Amino acid sequence: MGAAGIGGGTVNLYSWLSQFFGDPDRRHGPDSIVHRVGEHLLFSGEALGWALLLAVPLGLLLGYTGKAAGLVTALSGAARALPTLGLVTLAVLLAGVGDTAVLVPLVALAAPVLLVAACEGVRSTDPDLRDAARGIGLTHRQVLWQVCIPWALPALLAGLRTAAVQVIATATVASYVGLGGLGSYVVGGLATRDFAQTIGGALLVVLLAVATQLLFALLIRYALPAGLRRARD
Amino acid sequence: MIRFDGAAKRHPDGTLAVEGLDLTVPAGRTTVLVGPSGCGKTTILRMVNRMVEPTAGRVLLDGTDVAQLDAAKLRRGIGYVIQQAGLFPHRRVIDNVATVPYLLGWDRKRARTRASELLELVGLPPETARRYPFQLSGGQQQRVGVARALAADPPLLLMDEPFSAVDPVVRSGLQDELLRLQAELNKTVLFVTHDIEEAVRLGDQIVVLREHGRIAQVADPATLLAAPADEQVAAFLGRDRGLRGLALRPAEGIVLLAANTPLDGWTLAVDQEGRPTGWQRSAETIRQVAVFRPGLDTLRTALDSAVLSPARVAVAVDHAGRVIGLAPRAAVLDALDAAGPDTAAGITATGVADGR
Amino acid sequence: MGDEPLVRWHWIGTHLGYLRDLLLDHAVISLLPVLFGLLMALPLGLLCVRFPRLYQPLAAVFNVIYALPALAVFVVLIPYTGLATQATVMTPLTCYALAVLLPTTVDGLRSVPEPVRQAATALGYGPWRRLAAVELPTAVPYLVAGLRVAAVSSISLASVGALVGRGGLGYLFMDGFQRTFPTPIVAGIVLVTALALVTDAVLLLARRLLAPWARRESVVGR
Repeated sequence: MGAAGIGGGTVNLYSWLSQFFGDPDRRHGPDSIVHRVGEHLLFSGEALGWALLLAVPLGLLLGYTGKAAGLVTALSGAARALPTLGLVTLAVLLAGVGDTAVLVPLVALAAPVLLVAACEGVRSTDPDLRDAARGIGLTHRQVLWQVCIPWALPALLAGLRTAAVQVIATATVASYVGLGGLGSYVVGGLATRDFAQTIGGALLVVLLAVATQLLFALLIRYALPAGLRRARD
Repeated sequence: MIRFDGAAKRHPDGTLAVEGLDLTVPAGRTTVLVGPSGCGKTTILRMVNRMVEPTAGRVLLDGTDVAQLDAAKLRRGIGYVIQQAGLFPHRRVIDNVATVPYLLGWDRKRARTRASELLELVGLPPETARRYPFQLSGGQQQRVGVARALAADPPLLLMDEPFSAVDPVVRSGLQDELLRLQAELNKTVLFVTHDIEEAVRLGDQIVVLREHGRIAQVADPATLLAAPADEQVAAFLGRDRGLRGLALRPAEGIVLLAANTPLDGWTLAVDQEGRPTGWQRSAETIRQVAVFRPGLDTLRTALDSAVLSPARVAVAVDHAGRVIGLAPRAAVLDALDAAGPDTAAGITATGVADGR
Repeated sequence: MGDEPLVRWHWIGTHLGYLRDLLLDHAVISLLPVLFGLLMALPLGLLCVRFPRLYQPLAAVFNVIYALPALAVFVVLIPYTGLATQATVMTPLTCYALAVLLPTTVDGLRSVPEPVRQAATALGYGPWRRLAAVELPTAVPYLVAGLRVAAVSSISLASVGALVGRGGLGYLFMDGFQRTFPTPIVAGIVLVTALALVTDAVLLLARRLLAPWARRESVVGR
């Protein structure tokens, strides 16, 4: 390791990166990039799944009835203030290293975003449209499913994008308590002063987050019904 | 005075908004531009304060090409009122009105004093001054818009459909207010509307426009109604324009019968003051009496009074509402014929234009 | 963890001064970047509104920056700004704040209704003067909404800085974790959240004072 020191004057990012990516451990075994990316995506996806399951139905319902919308916003604001690193460390001390320890903080991160997106998405449905739907004889359940949810879809997808990016970025922190994923490179490198590993890991997380961002941008552009896309312009 | 001298506007995409326009807007009068939507009337209005720059021709303000003036300074000297009022949401009403005085560098106290005067002038109660625009009704907001346009006492006022967004009752009130203000202030007003009734009511001179800002006719309201230039203008003026024209002519020179003349068995009952209380014939009584005030009301009101009366006479009253005489329908129509020679010519011209 | 209770009140009692110092450090490293972000977002936003072509590329760049994981950025910066320095933590936090504040500034400046903008022009405001006198005040509710988001997430993110040696209250999480001692962690979570909520309340109050004419509580997201 050539430029081992920290802040040691000249810094050669390129040599660190080539050292990191050139290491055979990155290609095979438990510390390989593929394995780490897999771990990272797995618990990010798991956390998102739980958050979706918990927050979206509740958000849609609260948004449709229009009740407690102010409360939802206030609570989610407060939830955003919760420090993930604190939650992760506390969860590990209370529940031990494992799925729960990483899932609780990440779900706590994603759920409020999705809750607000679902709630506000449904609530923002054009009131005339809801009126008209009721007027031609749709039941509340039908109005929710056929009018409000399609209307809320762009907001929901945007919320899902924000949540996904935040979860993937924050999941790095989970490695601090030994939970694997791309954060392992970062945290492991920091602990052993192996900067090639730290910076390589950081770069991979950045790439993964940016890729997620792009994926959702495409999804929002092409997966929405044409009428909705135009209605938003 | 404003003079449009071949003023034209072609949009960057090549479409023509206004073809060369030649028009003179006289000082101290109200000129109304009226026409269907898309005829370029707003574009013409906005050429005056350089919100739109003509692509050919010139706009002269008291003989000076506006293109030679600094746009911002020019605008501070021209009042501008638009449909949605466009009040600044973050400023109290009084500061909205004082906008141009502030821009002209007046000190705060003087600007606010002036603004208060204007609020009073447009008929808003003093407590309005401290409110924010969202706390006002649409009609009140529009009054503030007018006050703001008048704040620096500009000689010229541009009004772009200022009363179109309020309900008919409020609109009518605002129109009255503008007529009253104009009688007092004698500004040069250039007013845009798509509503011919409004044009007839407010304009001293009406400019009827077709697409691309082509002038179909320039005339005073009575002449316009009596003698539209062609079928298209006549169609735009709509039905009953003959009757509506009566609303522009004073009920003068009508020969009156004595108030107690019995007509077809009907007599007009009056109270001690001499005010009409109803029509009577044997056991029948009709309490409502439509009246007109000779010299104050229009021929339209006089004819209305005659049409509504069971005795087929219009009831003439003085300013205090006391009966001064009765006018049979024929007498009202005779007064129409007796009106000035140019109106008579107008009626003849109408017949020709309509191909009758 | 054995019989260790969630909170040992005795520890908190004997560490009040320590907690206060960490709280102050946390406030500085998390809120100063928001201030810097605001100071940059205002001129940038004005430029973007005045020259609309600038906005798309800038927005795209900040969109990507916002997606960057804080820990990763802290780490990448270490070689340039040093380990455990304020700059290492505050530089990315400033970028995040700017990424939130630039779009809200631009949205706010653009939120002026077209008739109001036209009226301002017709009354004789030049373009820059109009931006300062009409667009900027109208943008205040949007700006405050953006500041609330930026401040709260900055406060939460700053604790991650502990992993690179400068995280204010975040240090409590590492300390507690390494000693298997939950009290500092709980204290840290409570203090971070409290700091965020107090900041949020102050911003709400500021909005009420600065923009009493704004009708709704939430302007953004409607």
